[in-house]
Amino acid sequence: MRSLIAAELLKLRSTRSAWIPLGAALAAAVLAVIADTSAAGHGGNPPLSPAMLPDLLRGSGGQLVNGAVLLAWIVLSAGEFRHRTSVTTFLAEPNRLRVVSAKLAAAALTGVALGLLAEALSAATAAAVLSAHHVPLAWGQPGVLGAVVAVPLLATAYGVLGASLGLLLRNTAAAVGLALMWAFVIEGILPALIHEPGINRWLPEAAANAVLHGASPAALPVGVALTVLAGYAAVLAGAGAALTARREIPTTMG
Amino acid sequence: MSTIAVEALTKRYGTITAVDDLTFDLVPGRITGFLGPNGAGKSTTMRLLLGLAQPDSGRATINGRPYRELRDPLRQVGALLDPNVFHPGRSGRTALRIAARPARIPGQRVEEVLHLTGLGSAAHRRAGGYSQGMRQRLALAAALLGDPETLILDEPANGLDPEGVHWLRGLLRRLATEGRTIFVSSHLLAELAQTADDVVIINQGRLVAAGSIAGLLHHAGAASLEDLFLGATSPGAPATHPAFTQARSLS
Repeated sequence: MRSLIAAELLKLRSTRSAWIPLGAALAAAVLAVIADTSAAGHGGNPPLSPAMLPDLLRGSGGQLVNGAVLLAWIVLSAGEFRHRTSVTTFLAEPNRLRVVSAKLAAAALTGVALGLLAEALSAATAAAVLSAHHVPLAWGQPGVLGAVVAVPLLATAYGVLGASLGLLLRNTAAAVGLALMWAFVIEGILPALIHEPGINRWLPEAAANAVLHGASPAALPVGVALTVLAGYAAVLAGAGAALTARREIPTTMG
Repeated sequence: MSTIAVEALTKRYGTITAVDDLTFDLVPGRITGFLGPNGAGKSTTMRLLLGLAQPDSGRATINGRPYRELRDPLRQVGALLDPNVFHPGRSGRTALRIAARPARIPGQRVEEVLHLTGLGSAAHRRAGGYSQGMRQRLALAAALLGDPETLILDEPANGLDPEGVHWLRGLLRRLATEGRTIFVSSHLLAELAQTADDVVIINQGRLVAAGSIAGLLHHAGAASLEDLFLGATSPGAPATHPAFTQARSLS
């Protein structure tokens, strides 16, 4: 299994189109901190203070890192069928569930790594900016550890969601389109469409926000939200695995 | 013992029967051509052999097992089904390293097959910029990665220039002489007549002839492989070519 995961990570390293969203998320992890600290004390925003640190660290998470890992793994897993590299993949390891497991594991590892790297960049940028303004760095305050743990955890779940969606649809444009539609349209209108406004907090984006920003009256408790998100990832991964095991692997000839 | 065995293999897509109760087996040390008109079911048969599709009934085995049950399949079977199975943004070398990784095939072997297929100097270039012939050579390199005893090649000469076809002929002959089983589909009958020892001919998914080329030509009274092929696959030909009764099994 380790060699299969290594092959999947080598695919990631050698696919430029997968690096673009990951690189953008890391750049945003730095820029988000600079933007937030620059706006402090202006336009009604509170001034720089030690209490800002957890929010600065959470700023690199959410849609930036999650979306980047999701897109990267859609590109990689659906791209296998677009470029027909799936043929060499399944000739090298004909046990399809092992291949799917390796993809999911590699996607999860990507999420952990990107989440931690984004947090490290945000922390370093925040430390530099706050120190330059003589604001004490309170790393031990509540919320700092939560942000550092939540961002990689969420990115892990979104990596699995992306790899699974790519395996399910086998079409990069359709999978990216569905993910964007879900994030920006469907999740917003679904509660109204089915006349169940209370369902909103059980949906993936709302659950991810609850994990990242903590409990609020309108959101699920963090533990429940994390379980809900893991449930979505598990269901999508199971469906992707089941369909991959049953479907034919297409080639152009014949 | 036959390395490739196909027994009553049947595959349907909706109302179309792509492979229809097909049975044949191949033995090591020989090159077997796999012939049939377009849509005869050659590629489907190869895909069934390689576990990329599941048969509706029957069995296709390599070394006595279905491909999906082989241990370390790349070290037992090398396959070329489609030259366009490489990410256009990856170099030829990286594409082979990715293919080699699951079987723990070392990087040195990647360099060997790149050199063997004449791609050494182009290995750093992106596969998307390769000519069709170079992609074919890269696909051959991938098939040879595990130094397998069995090779299954679908139209391996497609896109190769005359020098490449000559090189391929020599390579396949050398590999067969080493005792490997070579199963090659092709529409290039004149080329196949020079390369292959045996043929399996199918039409509309059904076996119409199988045996050594020399034996089949003799029994059918055909002057060439082309005559034999056209006689066996023409619309008025009998369901099973008469020559087949004299050469039922290649083994």
